[in-house]
Amino acid sequence: MQRAAKCALRPDLSLVFCPSSVRNCRAVNRVNGSVLCRRYSVLPPPRDKEEKAMLDSMLRVDHAGEYGANRIYAGQMAVLGRTQTGPLIQHMWDQEKIHLEKFNEILGEHRVRPTLLLPLWNIAGFALGACTALLGKEGAMACTVSVEESISEHYNSQIRTLMETDPERYTELLQIIKEFRDDEIEHHDTGLEHDAESVPGYFLLKTAIQVGCKAAIYISQRI
Amino acid sequence: MRSLWLDMAALVRGLRAGRVLRGLGSVQGIVSPQCRNVRRGFHRATLLRLADDSKSGTSVPPPSFHEVPTAGESSSSSEPLEDGQPNTSYQDQSGEHGEDYETEEQLQVRILTSALEFVPEHGWTVEAIAAGAETLGLSSASTGMFNNGAGDLVLHFVAQCNAQLAETLAEQHNLVQLGQAESKETAEFLRDAVEMRLRMLIPYIDTWPQAMSILLLPHNIPDSLKHLSTMVDDVWYYAGDRSTDMNWYTRRAALTGIFNTTELVMVQDSSPDFEETWDFLDNRIKDVVNMANTAKQVQATGEALVQGLMGAAITLKNLTGMNQRR
Repeated sequence: MQRAAKCALRPDLSLVFCPSSVRNCRAVNRVNGSVLCRRYSVLPPPRDKEEKAMLDSMLRVDHAGEYGANRIYAGQMAVLGRTQTGPLIQHMWDQEKIHLEKFNEILGEHRVRPTLLLPLWNIAGFALGACTALLGKEGAMACTVSVEESISEHYNSQIRTLMETDPERYTELLQIIKEFRDDEIEHHDTGLEHDAESVPGYFLLKTAIQVGCKAAIYISQRI
Repeated sequence: MRSLWLDMAALVRGLRAGRVLRGLGSVQGIVSPQCRNVRRGFHRATLLRLADDSKSGTSVPPPSFHEVPTAGESSSSSEPLEDGQPNTSYQDQSGEHGEDYETEEQLQVRILTSALEFVPEHGWTVEAIAAGAETLGLSSASTGMFNNGAGDLVLHFVAQCNAQLAETLAEQHNLVQLGQAESKETAEFLRDAVEMRLRMLIPYIDTWPQAMSILLLPHNIPDSLKHLSTMVDDVWYYAGDRSTDMNWYTRRAALTGIFNTTELVMVQDSSPDFEETWDFLDNRIKDVVNMANTAKQVQATGEALVQGLMGAAITLKNLTGMNQRR
């Protein structure tokens, strides 16, 4: 309801011109967005059901990924928050919070269903972050490296899909995903810099975490 | 002679709904373009076969739909052929559409919409669809188009009601955005939306239990669930819900429960203008709001408790000297 109040304060005249479904008005929103209302559309209005389904599942899994990453950093902070790596982990966590905020906005605006397994990712993410942090700073960094590698690979494949389909149509969305992918790669490199590879059983840990991430991505796309 | 032969071949080929339709549908003389296209849409498959047959037939009498009142000439024996011949040439244009071309889906929608007025009389049955088809000037055998029979009629009605609801909610949303109307409280909004949607059932309330049972048939359940979930999602969206966590699911589940139970109360309500139903709806929405508030309070209490425990743990760690930077 707050949202309705916000937009009442900034009247969106584009909606006058399309009294039918609000969804169709987003096309006009995109044009008038910069002039009148802060709200602009990241996605183009869907052409048909298949496109809507594809975009829905992409955004759903991205949202779930950012939510999970958020919880992983929370878990790591809970254990290592007061050590020397605390500020570093906090900085990376803040960036993930920005990503999650953005996806929350997109999901709400475009009526995308969030994944049903969010409570599961909540617990699993926190547990993963906390457990790897208990292995010490190197363990936490190893976890960060593995997760960020999975996520950036996933974003890359999404970028590929969108570019193959129609780069012009999805410009804003591509921009956002590229930006987030760059952030995740930066986290990955930070993790490597801070002795991620020196944790005992690094290879095993990395493989296990990445398999888990792939499974989570697969499930969240569907459920 | 040739025309007679082609005729019999066509009859032998099959009692296609379209064939029987033309025989029974007594539209003679001036045939409206829409009717022509209705027939065209109907038996495209038949026409493909006719195209094979009658490509060589040049000695065919002129088609009846060029608005020449040939009541005497357009006897039933030559009618099939006349319709067939020009339609095949239309087919040869590889599916180019005239301005008044109508798809089969659009035709089905038209028939079902006109069938709705016969529902109070015939119930949610194939007879109602047949009566509706006859009103449009088609044969009652056009019910063969609807594989699901009465299910198609009910689902069409539900979809129509939901579309109407979504449109009205969108218009109200627009007015609020333009500042021309006040935005409502969530509870009031939900109440008004559910009441609006249920009021669309009033003309058919006597036969609605039959419709509900049709919607519960196993082969109709996926479609009816889809309609229900879309409607509930629409209502919450326009109520201002932009949640992206488990609230998304709990809110929609709650509204589905409210809607279904209120619908059940409505079909057995005999009070004037369904007052009891609206009272029931009020109470259910109050319940849900109360539950939501209680849940929030429980969560707040839980968080306070956790903080208290954390405080106690930290105090303990301080006392034992464990709380030092490593």
